[in-house]
Amino acid sequence: MNKSGLLVRLAVVIGFASIAIGLLSTQLFYRLTVNKEIGFAHQSIDSLYKTVEATAATAAYLAEKDLAQEVIDGLITNDIVLNASMSFEETVVRTHEQPLNNPIAFPIKSLFEPNKTIGQLLIEPNVEFIELRASQLATENSNAMVLQALVVTIVSIFVAFFLITRPIIAIAKALHHTRPGEGKRLMVPEFHDGSELGLLVRDVNELLDKTESQFNQERKLREEIEALEKRFRMLFENSLSPIILMEPGGNILLFNSAFEKVLNKLDLQLRKSFGPLLKDLFDDPDSLSRVVEVAFANEEIATGEFKLKTEDGNQHFWVQVVVTAIISEDMREYYQVTLHDISKRKRELDDLAYQADFDKLTKMLNRQGLEKQLTTLMTTQSRFMLVLLDLNWFKQVNDIYGHKAGDEILIFVADRIKKTLRPEDFGGRWGGDEFVLLLSQADQSETREIVTRLVNRISKPFYLRNFEQNVTIGASVGAASYPDDSLDLQTLLHLADKAMYQSKKLKETQPEHFLHFSEETQQVQVNHV
Amino acid sequence: MVGCTLLKSLLLVSSLGAVSTPDASNLVVVVNKNNPTAELSRTQLIDLYMGKYVAFPDGRKAQPLDIDNNHKLKEVFYKELVGMPLNRVNAYWSRVKFTGRVRPPVQEQDEQAVLQVVATSNSAIAYIQADNITDDVKVVYRFNE
Repeated sequence: MNKSGLLVRLAVVIGFASIAIGLLSTQLFYRLTVNKEIGFAHQSIDSLYKTVEATAATAAYLAEKDLAQEVIDGLITNDIVLNASMSFEETVVRTHEQPLNNPIAFPIKSLFEPNKTIGQLLIEPNVEFIELRASQLATENSNAMVLQALVVTIVSIFVAFFLITRPIIAIAKALHHTRPGEGKRLMVPEFHDGSELGLLVRDVNELLDKTESQFNQERKLREEIEALEKRFRMLFENSLSPIILMEPGGNILLFNSAFEKVLNKLDLQLRKSFGPLLKDLFDDPDSLSRVVEVAFANEEIATGEFKLKTEDGNQHFWVQVVVTAIISEDMREYYQVTLHDISKRKRELDDLAYQADFDKLTKMLNRQGLEKQLTTLMTTQSRFMLVLLDLNWFKQVNDIYGHKAGDEILIFVADRIKKTLRPEDFGGRWGGDEFVLLLSQADQSETREIVTRLVNRISKPFYLRNFEQNVTIGASVGAASYPDDSLDLQTLLHLADKAMYQSKKLKETQPEHFLHFSEETQQVQVNHV
Repeated sequence: MVGCTLLKSLLLVSSLGAVSTPDASNLVVVVNKNNPTAELSRTQLIDLYMGKYVAFPDGRKAQPLDIDNNHKLKEVFYKELVGMPLNRVNAYWSRVKFTGRVRPPVQEQDEQAVLQVVATSNSAIAYIQADNITDDVKVVYRFNE
């Protein structure tokens, strides 16, 4: 049982109060009773006197000792009288020899002359007896009172318990287990329909009603907000592009799962910050910060395509970055950074570029690719030898065995070229059965060495599987040197072409002269002139 | 004729006596004219009639007399003397009689009888109406004073 519970407190308070009141009133009552009893005793003695007055007066008047003795004896038989004596005309009548202590004196009037006193009657009350009787009476009364207090206490505890405490405890318990929103209501205790407790319960229920309706309203609102938030979150979380909200200093406040995936791809652990504008993620963060700086200076949204820094460096991971500056309601600046993965598009673009520059059949640079390479070499002003190679007897093979056989021959030649060239050299198919080699930093002797090796390889008989036939082709080669022969691409090509035709002329007669240099051609022309 | 007149006068006297209402003013206490007591106080009279003393103040024996058949006179006398109705006086006597020592006054028929006793006895003392005083008695107490 709860020590500070209502019932215990009530019982203790009523108990103590009744004990205190009982003790106090018992004391008071005791004293009152004793005083009253003593008063009664005096009255009784008065009455006693009244009954014997006539006889006593007669005895005194006639000076009749016997009669007086009888009166005194009669008086003494009374419990409340301890001693008595009567005196008249120098005669004293008494029972005991003891002197009287604090006696009550009654003057004896003459029977026939009322204003004449003829004697005196002394009565000593039995104080001990009176007090004993009084205290007995008082004790009895006190006991009755204690009993009454006990009964009243028990009754009041019971009444308080059944009428007040129990219903209150029931209400308190019910209220304790009531949660607004569950729809539970308190019961009005029995017999309390019209009492304050009934009113209390009704008021509490009303309050519960109000709270519940407020609760429901709030819950509805919260649900709406939650639904909205869920949608926003869905939008945010399911976005394929990483979205990051960060402080200008680089602290990341919010990010979605797509960002985590990107970090996974980059083999990076999630961190609180990757530097301002996520600079740690980018291959060239300075260009990004420049772009952002310029855009923000013009109050624009910063966008740009940037490469992310990958672990092995070769993997290409490109993103389009969109950085938006957001000023919040409390005037703080945030950056919203969105990364769109554009690697695939980038790769496709690269592939497209690759396809444009390469020959599908031989997997070598085509004319466009070669021209690009030539331009590059020329812009970097590096020395190289332009070698033009034209196959001999290819047209015949093509005519006799068909295109498939011709393609086989072309793939074979391309393969030989790839195997012969040094790593720094380039080779490609110029068109038809014409090939171009760009020999970096090569002089004539080096060129001759490479070309000779190549032509020897090409000139070996080639086995056509489908036809079970060996065919032999050859090559006529012309070379022009950059920048010695010309600085102009077209001129250089023209010179190489002319040199190649020089060789072509000798393919039957002097097949060992399969290589001519432009310089020689010019000399021949000079010689001709 | 004389007898007739006497009778008449007797009738007249008796009727007068019967009719006259006794009251304190004409009530007197008398003794034999030869009694040396000249006068009695009220207390002395009470003590004689209520039995306290049986002698006159000079020590000679005294015998109080009561009139029995005229209650009215007796009643007035005791009322005047001790302030008590007759029943209380009777109660007093019945209370004190047992002592043996005290005796109530001697009862006589009427005033005439009383006067006769007083006339013949020196110790007798009685109350009568003042109208009936004779030469044989002398007044020792008057209530009208």
